[in-house]
Amino acid sequence: MIKELPRYLLLFVVLMLLQISVLNNINLSGYINPYIYILFILLLPFSMPGWLLLIVGFFTGFVVDYFTNTLGLHTSATLLLAFVRPTILSWMSYRDDLDRFDSPGIGSSGMEWFVRYAVVAVLVHHFALFCFESFSFYHFHITLLRILLSSIFTLFFIVMIELLRSGRK
Amino acid sequence: MNNFIRFLERFHFVILFVVLFAISVTMYLNTTYYQKSQVGRLTKGVSGVIAGQFSNIGQYMNLKRVNIELTQENVALRNELERMRVIIEEVEHTPRLDSLSGAKYWYFPARVVNNMVNRRHNFITLNLGASNGVMPGMGVVCGKGIAGVVSSVSQNFCTVISVLNIDLKVSAKHSKSGIFGSLSWDGVNYREVVLRDIPLHVDVAVGDTIVTSGFSAKFPRDIPLGVISDFHNKDGNFYTIRVRLFADFKRLDYVYLVKSYEGPEINKIEITTHD
Repeated sequence: MIKELPRYLLLFVVLMLLQISVLNNINLSGYINPYIYILFILLLPFSMPGWLLLIVGFFTGFVVDYFTNTLGLHTSATLLLAFVRPTILSWMSYRDDLDRFDSPGIGSSGMEWFVRYAVVAVLVHHFALFCFESFSFYHFHITLLRILLSSIFTLFFIVMIELLRSGRK
Repeated sequence: MNNFIRFLERFHFVILFVVLFAISVTMYLNTTYYQKSQVGRLTKGVSGVIAGQFSNIGQYMNLKRVNIELTQENVALRNELERMRVIIEEVEHTPRLDSLSGAKYWYFPARVVNNMVNRRHNFITLNLGASNGVMPGMGVVCGKGIAGVVSSVSQNFCTVISVLNIDLKVSAKHSKSGIFGSLSWDGVNYREVVLRDIPLHVDVAVGDTIVTSGFSAKFPRDIPLGVISDFHNKDGNFYTIRVRLFADFKRLDYVYLVKSYEGPEINKIEITTHD
């Protein structure tokens, strides 16, 4: 896992730059805010210990919060995602040939498996994020719409980035 | 024993999650929108510089539109200057009755470094800070209305609570009747804000102009903000009025910080009265 560290650091920096400089600035009709930085959490190795997963999740969210002036918001949502990731993985990993790979990804676990995994993870994260953000059920239909539309766009971007990554290898 | 260790492992995971989650949620809940913008204050310089680099790129693409807008504003200001010149001549030829002269407000231009419209608590970062004389609480106006109120200041940058922040309330006036109410954003559409507390006897109509009241001394009075697009009185004794803003917050490039010469004095006397 140590030898994978530079690759993960690079991925982290690239995703953060994309998120902060490009995606935080697009806003289609006020409903669509893709958050692709969670791809980093999705791609962490299977063998990563739980406590490290949580700390990485906390830190990732905190960096995004720092640059978007929303202290605690992304931290909470990303931490939650890191917490449920092992559970999601245990639902998904009925394929026994998956044991041969170190980390999730289109290149290793296949398109269909990865998309199903990403859908669940993105929905969990976005649901927590947008509910925290509005912090009431007053305009719940609007919050729900934002969750759905943003999730679709996040998924689109995540799959695109994954295709690029796996194609390059 | 094996089971016990496994249990302990699981236990650690949950404990750590609960602790970290408690930290982050407390962080989120205990910080008001004001404190949130204060947190990164000391290091705001760093993220401000990074954001500044990105906004430099966008600036070139907007130059044409910005030029046109600035020209239009210049024309409007020139016209007003000519009108004022006539008045000044008149005043100078009449004997002076009191010494209360001079401007109440002083404007200085600032560039938008970072701006957001897609959250419910939106902030704007400007390229002026304490070294330029910016202080928390100063008003920020743009060519077509008001942009917000300065919340925190670092050496070279400041953050502004945008009008598109559900926690910011601004006093505004129905220009035809002069009745004032409270203007705030409901977090739904970035082109529309809501004006409340206008009593039912006021004759409001779609298309009426809403202007600043000038009560808070943060903003000069009678700056046009927008027109009424819709109103209803479902809430009882007051109208809830939807106001379509003149300003397009997605296209904010240059804004003006407003220094009020009377503001501090007004605040001081109001505080002593409330105590």
